[in-house]
Amino acid sequence: MHDGGYIVSATSLSDHIPDLNLITYYAETRRTCFSRVSPWTKFSLLVLIIFLITLTKDLFILAGLYSIVLGAYAGARLPVRKLFAWYALPVIFVLSLIGIMAWNEPGNAVISFSIGGIPCILTDNGILLIIILLLKALIAVTYSLFFLMTTRYRHFSAMIYRIFPTPIDQIFLMAYRFLFLTLAMTGAILKAVRSRGGGLIHSIHMQGQMFAEIFALVFIRSFERSERVHKAMIARGYSGSFGTAVEVPALHLYEYVIIGICAALVIVVALRDTAMGGIVPL
Amino acid sequence: MTIIRADPAGIPHCTHNDKERELIHVDCASHIYPDGSVGIHNMCFYVQKNEIVALCGPNGSGKSTLIEHLNGLLTPSEGNIAVNGRSITTGEHSNLWREVGLVFQRSDDQLFAPTVLDDVMFGPRNMGMSVDAAKAAAMEALGAVGAADLVGKLPNYLSGGQKRLVSIAGILAMKPRIIALDEPTSDLDPVHSGMVENLIFDLKQRFGISVVIATHDLDLASRIADRICLVRQGSVFAEGTPAEIFYDPVLLRETGLKPPQIVQVYRAYCQTRGIQEDHHPLTIEDLMELIDRK
Repeated sequence: MHDGGYIVSATSLSDHIPDLNLITYYAETRRTCFSRVSPWTKFSLLVLIIFLITLTKDLFILAGLYSIVLGAYAGARLPVRKLFAWYALPVIFVLSLIGIMAWNEPGNAVISFSIGGIPCILTDNGILLIIILLLKALIAVTYSLFFLMTTRYRHFSAMIYRIFPTPIDQIFLMAYRFLFLTLAMTGAILKAVRSRGGGLIHSIHMQGQMFAEIFALVFIRSFERSERVHKAMIARGYSGSFGTAVEVPALHLYEYVIIGICAALVIVVALRDTAMGGIVPL
Repeated sequence: MTIIRADPAGIPHCTHNDKERELIHVDCASHIYPDGSVGIHNMCFYVQKNEIVALCGPNGSGKSTLIEHLNGLLTPSEGNIAVNGRSITTGEHSNLWREVGLVFQRSDDQLFAPTVLDDVMFGPRNMGMSVDAAKAAAMEALGAVGAADLVGKLPNYLSGGQKRLVSIAGILAMKPRIIALDEPTSDLDPVHSGMVENLIFDLKQRFGISVVIATHDLDLASRIADRICLVRQGSVFAEGTPAEIFYDPVLLRETGLKPPQIVQVYRAYCQTRGIQEDHHPLTIEDLMELIDRK
């Protein structure tokens, strides 16, 4: 695949599932101003963003925040078209969640019909609710991907190691590498299926049993591999824990300023929403 | 050295060797897996200081099982294994990994940490080294295998050859006295295969480490090993120098192996010219010299 002057590999299982290989490729190779920002800063901003989107229901603030996050994503020369394809899962998730909630909200009816005598009314407030929740989901997804795709994995894992207690840090340190291997294994099996005319989607009804066997095979192979990995670790004296020696780049002065300004803005929004009738997390 | 054959009746045959130089002694060891399959049976084997021993045999002959015993991953059901004079069958094998490093056949099974540096530091850290000392040991080992430039990389994005070099560095950083490598050149391209081959030489020459390789690549074994042990049905069937073993067609046939390429070429040369096989070349250089002389 050719993307923005770079040749990148595309080995995803589906266009709508974020490709871990691609994400890591961008994280390891892209060198923009965002890659040079300390991971601690990006992590702090992630916390503030989560805080903000949990607190506010203001459509303009959410739309503005989404524009900023999307702008940062594009500015980091990350693949925007891929991002839109990856939105499929969060959009489906949000719609399935509020597909029922959005109906019969108080407000002006936009669509109205009845099913078996039960009235179904979609109001302007119902549509607003859908838009707000979609924006919140897309902001979280876009920024999370931006964070992952502009942060080298060794820094990411070192942060996890320093933030989380054992065994969570151990799980993170080990899981990432084997996620790749399991994906590669699944990809290899799917390739073998596709090479003989099978496919993940179009023949799933016809070949349900075969796919069940594939995933069982992946499970069994993963289990066997984990045994071999454990054996290799024991052979080097593994006694229950290991760490990373990688140092996470420290924050520059301007990054403290940015975090401070963003934190102040979040506080202002929170206070404003409180003054306007209390914070109702959505 | 002369060829030492196991007793055809299957009676254990432990060869006498120089006890002063002996690092590992496997004495009539047997291992039966929980499913009942026999891993090794009446295995007799030894490793001396500063030598490269190649365990050669077909798939399933017991090479990998033997290698896992050397590191203490497996303990024999019967018989005895002593490392540096300490018996590992009496429960003293807990720190064996400090003395015998094990490089696995599949590097993907060995490299598990997020970065190359973390992976190579894993062993030294388990030995109790401080972070700085472990880092220094890791950098030294990566430099020694010619992989210093990979230090910050993710193992996932290394080629098969680079992964193998990093796997060896992960063991070398622990400074063991013996390194056992399971199929060290399998799945490698000729360039990386050559690099690993040179590295195995270096382990012995530069670092004074004894090396055990389990392989069915007889070309590799013929070039680098000081001693060949033919393994068949879970025990060492015969042992000798590469020239002795690889120029004995009956032995190789009995073990289910084909002679190395150089041996085959030399044989064909002698047959077509109608001359006696009075030499035992094992390298291209040796063969070329012989052809020039004739």
